Amino acid sequence: MAEVLSNEQFRTALEDAMQGREAKDASFSRAWATGKLERHHFARWAENHYHYVGPFADYLAYIYANTPDSCTDAKDFLLQNMYEEELSDDRHTDLLIRFAEACGSSRERVEDPRNMCAMTRGLQGWCYATAFREHFAVATAALVVGLESQVPSIYRKQYPVLVDPDGYGFTEDESEFFDLHITSDEVHGERGYQIVLEHADTPDLQQRCIEVVRDGADMRFAYTKALYDTYVRPDLGEWHEEPGVTNPPVEALA
Amino acid sequence: MPRIFFRTSGREVELTGDDAVNLLRVAIRHECGVPWRCASGNCGTDRVLVEEGADSLSRPRKRERERLGDLLGMGYRLACQTYVDGDVTVSWDPDQKSLDEDSRAAERLKRIWLGAADSA
Repeated sequence: MAEVLSNEQFRTALEDAMQGREAKDASFSRAWATGKLERHHFARWAENHYHYVGPFADYLAYIYANTPDSCTDAKDFLLQNMYEEELSDDRHTDLLIRFAEACGSSRERVEDPRNMCAMTRGLQGWCYATAFREHFAVATAALVVGLESQVPSIYRKQYPVLVDPDGYGFTEDESEFFDLHITSDEVHGERGYQIVLEHADTPDLQQRCIEVVRDGADMRFAYTKALYDTYVRPDLGEWHEEPGVTNPPVEALA
Repeated sequence: MPRIFFRTSGREVELTGDDAVNLLRVAIRHECGVPWRCASGNCGTDRVLVEEGADSLSRPRKRERERLGDLLGMGYRLACQTYVDGDVTVSWDPDQKSLDEDSRAAERLKRIWLGAADSA
Protein backbone atom coordinates (compact mmCIF):
# COMPACT_ATOMS: atom_id res chain seq x y z
CA MET A 1 0.00 0.00 0.00
CA ALA A 2 1.36 3.40 -0.97
CA GLU A 3 2.48 5.71 1.81
CA VAL A 4 2.43 9.47 2.05
CA LEU A 5 5.66 10.95 0.71
CA SER A 6 7.62 13.26 2.97
CA ASN A 7 7.66 16.91 1.94
CA GLU A 8 11.18 16.51 0.60
CA GLN A 9 10.33 13.38 -1.40
CA PHE A 10 7.14 14.93 -2.71
CA ARG A 11 8.84 18.16 -3.79
CA THR A 12 11.56 16.21 -5.57
CA ALA A 13 8.92 14.11 -7.35
CA LEU A 14 7.10 17.26 -8.49
CA GLU A 15 10.35 18.77 -9.78
CA ASP A 16 11.30 15.53 -11.51
CA ALA A 17 7.89 15.40 -13.22
CA MET A 18 8.87 18.48 -15.25
CA GLN A 19 12.32 17.25 -16.24
CA GLY A 20 12.81 16.72 -19.95
CA ARG A 21 9.63 18.56 -20.87
CA GLU A 22 10.35 22.14 -19.80
CA ALA A 23 9.10 24.83 -22.16
CA LYS A 24 12.43 26.68 -22.03
CA ASP A 25 13.84 23.84 -24.12
CA ALA A 26 11.11 23.84 -26.78
CA SER A 27 12.03 24.96 -30.30
CA PHE A 28 10.28 28.34 -30.12
CA SER A 29 12.01 29.15 -26.81
CA ARG A 30 15.41 28.12 -28.11
CA ALA A 31 15.01 30.07 -31.34
CA TRP A 32 13.98 33.09 -29.24
CA ALA A 33 16.85 32.81 -26.76
CA THR A 34 19.45 32.42 -29.50
CA GLY A 35 18.34 35.46 -31.47
CA LYS A 36 16.78 33.69 -34.46
CA LEU A 37 13.30 35.24 -34.39
CA GLU A 38 11.94 38.39 -35.98
CA ARG A 39 9.39 40.83 -34.61
CA HIS A 40 6.52 39.35 -36.56
CA HIS A 41 7.18 36.00 -34.84
CA PHE A 42 6.91 37.71 -31.46
CA ALA A 43 3.67 39.32 -32.59
CA ARG A 44 2.17 35.90 -33.31
CA TRP A 45 3.49 34.63 -29.98
CA ALA A 46 1.78 37.50 -28.13
CA GLU A 47 -1.49 36.92 -30.00
CA ASN A 48 -1.46 33.34 -28.74
CA HIS A 49 -0.01 33.90 -25.30
CA TYR A 50 -2.76 36.35 -24.43
CA HIS A 51 -5.35 33.57 -24.67
CA TYR A 52 -3.35 31.27 -22.43
CA VAL A 53 -2.40 33.75 -19.66
CA GLY A 54 -5.22 36.26 -20.10
CA PRO A 55 -7.74 34.06 -18.25
CA PHE A 56 -5.24 33.11 -15.49
CA ALA A 57 -7.24 34.94 -12.84
CA ASP A 58 -10.33 33.08 -14.09
CA TYR A 59 -8.57 29.74 -13.67
CA LEU A 60 -7.48 30.73 -10.17
CA ALA A 61 -10.99 31.87 -9.32
CA TYR A 62 -12.31 28.38 -10.02
CA ILE A 63 -9.64 26.92 -7.74
CA TYR A 64 -10.48 29.53 -5.11
CA ALA A 65 -14.13 28.53 -5.15
CA ASN A 66 -13.16 24.85 -4.74
CA THR A 67 -10.88 25.55 -1.77
CA PRO A 68 -12.47 24.99 1.66
CA ASP A 69 -12.77 28.01 3.93
CA SER A 70 -10.59 26.23 6.48
CA CYS A 71 -7.60 26.45 4.11
CA THR A 72 -7.11 30.16 4.64
CA ASP A 73 -3.48 30.20 3.52
CA ALA A 74 -4.32 28.63 0.18
CA LYS A 75 -7.29 30.93 -0.40
CA ASP A 76 -5.24 34.00 0.47
CA PHE A 77 -2.48 32.97 -1.92
CA LEU A 78 -4.93 32.46 -4.77
CA LEU A 79 -6.60 35.81 -4.13
CA GLN A 80 -3.25 37.60 -3.94
CA ASN A 81 -2.17 35.95 -7.19
CA MET A 82 -5.39 37.04 -8.92
CA TYR A 83 -4.97 40.58 -7.56
CA GLU A 84 -1.43 40.81 -8.88
CA GLU A 85 -2.48 39.60 -12.32
CA GLU A 86 -5.19 42.20 -12.61
CA LEU A 87 -5.03 45.13 -10.21
CA SER A 88 -1.89 45.60 -8.17
CA ASP A 89 -0.18 47.64 -10.86
CA ASP A 90 -0.39 47.59 -14.63
CA ARG A 91 -2.70 44.77 -15.68
CA HIS A 92 -0.44 41.97 -16.84
CA THR A 93 -2.31 41.52 -20.10
CA ASP A 94 -1.81 45.23 -20.81
CA LEU A 95 1.93 44.71 -20.50
CA LEU A 96 1.64 41.82 -22.95
CA ILE A 97 -0.32 43.99 -25.37
CA ARG A 98 2.30 46.74 -25.03
CA PHE A 99 4.91 44.22 -26.16
CA ALA A 100 2.68 43.01 -28.99
CA GLU A 101 2.24 46.57 -30.23
CA ALA A 102 6.01 47.03 -30.24
CA CYS A 103 6.13 43.97 -32.49
CA GLY A 104 3.65 45.42 -34.98
CA SER A 105 0.47 43.79 -33.67
CA SER A 106 -2.46 45.63 -32.10
CA ARG A 107 -4.78 45.31 -29.11
CA GLU A 108 -7.58 44.25 -31.45
CA ARG A 109 -5.51 41.48 -33.00
CA VAL A 110 -4.27 40.24 -29.62
CA GLU A 111 -7.72 40.15 -28.08
CA ASP A 112 -9.31 38.41 -31.06
CA PRO A 113 -9.55 34.66 -30.21
CA ARG A 114 -9.59 33.82 -33.92
CA ASN A 115 -5.86 34.59 -33.97
CA MET A 116 -4.81 31.75 -31.69
CA CYS A 117 -3.76 28.39 -33.06
CA ALA A 118 -5.35 25.06 -32.15
CA MET A 119 -2.76 24.09 -29.55
CA THR A 120 -3.27 27.36 -27.69
CA ARG A 121 -6.99 26.67 -27.63
CA GLY A 122 -6.18 23.24 -26.22
CA LEU A 123 -3.93 24.62 -23.49
CA GLN A 124 -6.53 27.19 -22.49
CA GLY A 125 -9.21 24.51 -22.34
CA TRP A 126 -6.99 22.21 -20.26
CA CYS A 127 -6.37 25.05 -17.79
CA TYR A 128 -10.10 25.76 -17.45
CA ALA A 129 -11.02 22.10 -17.08
CA THR A 130 -8.31 21.36 -14.54
CA ALA A 131 -9.11 24.42 -12.45
CA PHE A 132 -12.83 23.71 -12.52
CA ARG A 133 -12.86 19.96 -11.95
CA GLU A 134 -9.85 18.97 -9.83
CA HIS A 135 -9.24 19.05 -6.08
CA PHE A 136 -7.78 22.47 -5.24
CA ALA A 137 -4.35 21.06 -4.36
CA VAL A 138 -4.21 19.13 -7.63
CA ALA A 139 -5.33 22.15 -9.64
CA THR A 140 -2.73 24.31 -7.87
CA ALA A 141 -0.09 21.72 -8.72
CA ALA A 142 -1.13 21.79 -12.37
CA LEU A 143 -1.41 25.53 -12.91
CA VAL A 144 1.00 27.04 -10.41
CA VAL A 145 3.69 24.37 -10.09
CA GLY A 146 3.44 22.77 -13.54
CA LEU A 147 2.92 25.98 -15.53
CA GLU A 148 3.55 29.19 -13.56
CA SER A 149 6.66 28.05 -11.72
CA GLN A 150 8.39 27.42 -15.07
CA VAL A 151 8.11 31.06 -16.09
CA PRO A 152 11.31 32.41 -14.46
CA SER A 153 13.43 29.71 -16.08
CA ILE A 154 11.92 30.52 -19.49
CA TYR A 155 12.10 34.30 -19.33
CA ARG A 156 15.52 34.39 -17.70
CA LYS A 157 16.80 32.93 -20.97
CA GLN A 158 14.62 35.06 -23.22
CA TYR A 159 14.75 38.50 -21.58
CA PRO A 160 18.46 39.38 -21.96
CA VAL A 161 18.41 39.02 -25.73
CA LEU A 162 15.15 40.99 -25.94
CA VAL A 163 16.71 44.13 -24.40
CA ASP A 164 20.20 43.66 -25.80
CA PRO A 165 20.78 46.46 -28.37
CA ASP A 166 22.75 43.93 -30.41
CA GLY A 167 19.95 41.38 -29.97
CA TYR A 168 16.29 42.15 -30.57
CA GLY A 169 16.69 45.70 -29.22
CA PHE A 170 13.41 46.18 -27.34
CA THR A 171 13.28 48.87 -24.66
CA GLU A 172 12.92 48.06 -20.97
CA ASP A 173 9.44 49.52 -21.09
CA GLU A 174 8.32 47.45 -24.10
CA SER A 175 9.55 44.23 -22.51
CA GLU A 176 8.38 44.86 -18.94
CA PHE A 177 5.97 41.90 -19.16
CA PHE A 178 8.93 39.53 -19.08
CA ASP A 179 11.01 41.23 -16.41
CA LEU A 180 7.99 41.40 -14.12
CA HIS A 181 7.26 37.70 -14.45
CA ILE A 182 10.84 36.60 -13.91
CA THR A 183 10.57 37.79 -10.33
CA SER A 184 6.87 37.56 -9.47
CA ASP A 185 6.51 33.97 -10.62
CA GLU A 186 9.47 32.93 -8.48
CA VAL A 187 7.36 33.82 -5.46
CA HIS A 188 4.08 32.52 -6.89
CA GLY A 189 5.77 29.25 -7.79
CA GLU A 190 7.28 28.82 -4.34
CA ARG A 191 3.99 29.52 -2.60
CA GLY A 192 2.33 27.08 -4.98
CA TYR A 193 4.77 24.38 -3.96
CA GLN A 194 4.06 25.08 -0.29
CA ILE A 195 0.31 24.83 -0.74
CA VAL A 196 0.59 21.58 -2.67
CA LEU A 197 3.00 20.10 -0.11
CA GLU A 198 0.66 21.01 2.74
CA HIS A 199 -2.72 20.12 1.28
CA ALA A 200 -2.02 17.07 -0.89
CA ASP A 201 -1.92 14.91 2.18
CA THR A 202 -2.85 11.43 0.93
CA PRO A 203 -0.94 9.07 -1.39
CA ASP A 204 -3.69 9.39 -4.01
CA LEU A 205 -3.65 13.17 -3.96
CA GLN A 206 0.13 13.26 -4.11
CA GLN A 207 0.23 10.93 -7.11
CA ARG A 208 -2.48 12.94 -8.83
CA CYS A 209 -0.44 16.11 -8.28
CA ILE A 210 2.66 14.52 -9.76
CA GLU A 211 0.66 13.37 -12.79
CA VAL A 212 -0.89 16.78 -13.47
CA VAL A 213 2.44 18.55 -13.09
CA ARG A 214 3.75 16.19 -15.77
CA ASP A 215 0.64 16.85 -17.89
CA GLY A 216 0.97 20.61 -17.42
CA ALA A 217 4.62 20.61 -18.41
CA ASP A 218 3.73 18.50 -21.46
CA MET A 219 0.96 20.92 -22.39
CA ARG A 220 3.20 23.97 -22.11
CA PHE A 221 5.98 22.27 -24.06
CA ALA A 222 3.56 21.24 -26.81
CA TYR A 223 2.06 24.75 -26.92
CA THR A 224 5.50 26.33 -27.26
CA LYS A 225 6.58 23.83 -29.93
CA ALA A 226 3.35 24.44 -31.85
CA LEU A 227 4.17 28.15 -32.03
CA TYR A 228 7.41 27.30 -33.79
CA ASP A 229 5.78 24.80 -36.10
CA THR A 230 2.96 27.18 -37.01
CA TYR A 231 4.71 30.53 -37.32
CA VAL A 232 8.47 30.03 -37.53
CA ARG A 233 9.11 26.81 -39.39
CA PRO A 234 7.77 28.25 -42.67
CA ASP A 235 10.57 30.88 -42.41
CA LEU A 236 13.43 28.99 -40.75
CA GLY A 237 12.69 25.33 -41.42
CA GLU A 238 12.99 22.54 -38.85
CA TRP A 239 14.66 23.61 -35.62
CA HIS A 240 18.17 22.30 -35.14
CA GLU A 241 20.06 23.13 -31.98
CA GLU A 242 23.50 24.56 -32.67
CA PRO A 243 26.09 22.86 -30.46
CA GLY A 244 27.67 25.10 -27.85
CA VAL A 245 25.23 28.00 -28.25
CA THR A 246 24.46 29.58 -24.91
CA ASN A 247 22.98 32.82 -23.74
CA PRO A 248 23.67 34.89 -20.61
CA PRO A 249 21.47 34.72 -17.52
CA VAL A 250 19.26 37.70 -16.95
CA GLU A 251 21.44 38.95 -14.10
CA ALA A 252 24.14 39.83 -16.61
CA LEU A 253 21.92 42.49 -18.13
CA ALA A 254 19.46 43.32 -15.38
CA MET B 1 28.94 26.79 -1.10
CA PRO B 2 27.57 30.36 -0.96
CA ARG B 3 25.26 31.11 1.95
CA ILE B 4 22.64 33.69 2.81
CA PHE B 5 22.48 34.82 6.42
CA PHE B 6 19.13 36.32 7.46
CA ARG B 7 20.41 38.14 10.53
CA THR B 8 17.06 39.33 11.91
CA SER B 9 15.69 35.79 12.20
CA GLY B 10 19.07 34.13 12.70
CA ARG B 11 18.45 31.74 9.80
CA GLU B 12 21.21 30.69 7.44
CA VAL B 13 20.66 29.01 4.09
CA GLU B 14 23.37 27.35 2.06
CA LEU B 15 22.85 27.57 -1.69
CA THR B 16 23.16 24.54 -3.91
CA GLY B 17 23.32 24.53 -7.69
CA ASP B 18 24.97 26.93 -10.11
CA ASP B 19 22.14 29.35 -10.86
CA ALA B 20 21.57 32.58 -8.97
CA VAL B 21 18.54 32.34 -6.67
CA ASN B 22 15.75 34.78 -5.91
CA LEU B 23 16.23 36.16 -2.39
CA LEU B 24 12.55 36.23 -1.41
CA ARG B 25 11.92 32.75 -2.82
CA VAL B 26 14.73 31.39 -0.64
CA ALA B 27 13.36 33.26 2.37
CA ILE B 28 9.86 31.86 1.86
CA ARG B 29 11.00 28.30 1.16
CA HIS B 30 13.20 28.16 4.24
CA GLU B 31 10.88 30.19 6.48
CA CYS B 32 13.41 32.91 7.16
CA GLY B 33 10.86 35.50 8.24
CA VAL B 34 11.37 38.27 5.67
CA PRO B 35 8.06 40.21 5.62
CA TRP B 36 6.43 40.42 2.22
CA ARG B 37 3.08 41.06 0.62
CA CYS B 38 3.21 41.29 -3.14
CA ALA B 39 5.67 39.64 -5.50
CA SER B 40 5.97 42.43 -8.03
CA GLY B 41 8.31 45.00 -6.50
CA ASN B 42 5.25 47.09 -5.87
CA CYS B 43 4.62 47.31 -2.13
CA GLY B 44 8.18 47.43 -0.80
CA THR B 45 7.28 45.35 2.26
CA ASP B 46 10.19 42.98 1.60
CA ARG B 47 12.96 45.60 1.68
CA VAL B 48 16.11 44.34 3.33
CA LEU B 49 19.33 46.06 4.37
CA VAL B 50 22.32 44.39 2.77
CA GLU B 51 24.93 44.26 5.51
CA GLU B 52 27.48 42.20 3.62
CA GLY B 53 27.85 40.82 0.12
CA ALA B 54 26.31 43.53 -2.06
CA ASP B 55 28.60 42.41 -4.88
CA SER B 56 26.87 39.00 -4.87
CA LEU B 57 23.52 40.54 -5.83
CA SER B 58 21.99 41.19 -9.25
CA ARG B 59 21.86 44.79 -10.38
CA PRO B 60 18.66 46.66 -9.37
CA ARG B 61 15.80 46.18 -11.80
CA LYS B 62 13.52 48.95 -13.08
CA ARG B 63 10.77 48.37 -10.53
CA GLU B 64 13.25 48.20 -7.68
CA ARG B 65 14.90 51.45 -8.72
CA GLU B 66 11.51 53.15 -8.96
CA ARG B 67 10.19 51.76 -5.68
CA LEU B 68 13.21 52.20 -3.44
CA GLY B 69 14.53 55.51 -4.75
CA ASP B 70 17.04 56.92 -2.27
CA LEU B 71 16.85 53.80 -0.08
CA LEU B 72 18.78 51.95 -2.78
CA GLY B 73 21.82 54.13 -2.17
CA MET B 74 21.49 53.48 1.57
CA GLY B 75 22.00 49.76 1.02
CA TYR B 76 18.42 48.53 0.81
CA ARG B 77 17.15 46.02 -1.75
CA LEU B 78 13.78 44.44 -2.46
CA ALA B 79 14.08 40.72 -1.77
CA CYS B 80 11.54 39.83 -4.47
CA GLN B 81 13.55 41.63 -7.16
CA THR B 82 17.02 40.45 -6.17
CA TYR B 83 19.04 37.41 -7.21
CA VAL B 84 21.94 36.08 -5.17
CA ASP B 85 24.97 34.11 -6.31
CA GLY B 86 27.38 34.44 -3.34
CA ASP B 87 27.66 35.06 0.39
CA VAL B 88 25.21 37.69 1.65
CA THR B 89 23.97 38.96 5.01
CA VAL B 90 20.67 40.84 5.22
CA SER B 91 18.48 42.28 7.98
CA TRP B 92 15.16 44.08 8.27
CA ASP B 93 12.68 45.58 10.69
CA PRO B 94 10.39 42.66 11.64
CA ASP B 95 7.42 45.03 11.95
CA GLN B 96 7.93 46.86 8.68
CA LYS B 97 4.95 47.50 6.41
CA SER B 98 4.71 48.56 2.79
CA LEU B 99 6.63 51.71 1.89
CA ASP B 100 3.53 53.85 1.80
CA GLU B 101 -0.19 53.53 1.48
CA ASP B 102 -0.30 56.09 -1.29
CA SER B 103 1.35 53.73 -3.69
CA ARG B 104 0.42 53.49 -7.35
CA ALA B 105 -1.58 50.36 -6.49
CA ALA B 106 -3.63 52.19 -3.88
CA GLU B 107 -4.23 55.10 -6.24
CA ARG B 108 -5.28 52.73 -9.01
CA LEU B 109 -7.74 50.92 -6.76
CA LYS B 110 -9.23 54.20 -5.58
CA ARG B 111 -9.73 55.23 -9.21
CA ILE B 112 -11.36 51.91 -10.10
CA TRP B 113 -13.72 51.69 -7.15
CA LEU B 114 -14.61 55.36 -6.90
CA GLY B 115 -15.14 55.41 -10.64
CA ALA B 116 -17.44 52.39 -10.38
CA ALA B 117 -19.42 54.05 -7.59
CA ASP B 118 -19.78 57.24 -9.59
CA SER B 119 -21.19 55.44 -12.59
CA ALA B 120 -23.49 53.09 -10.63
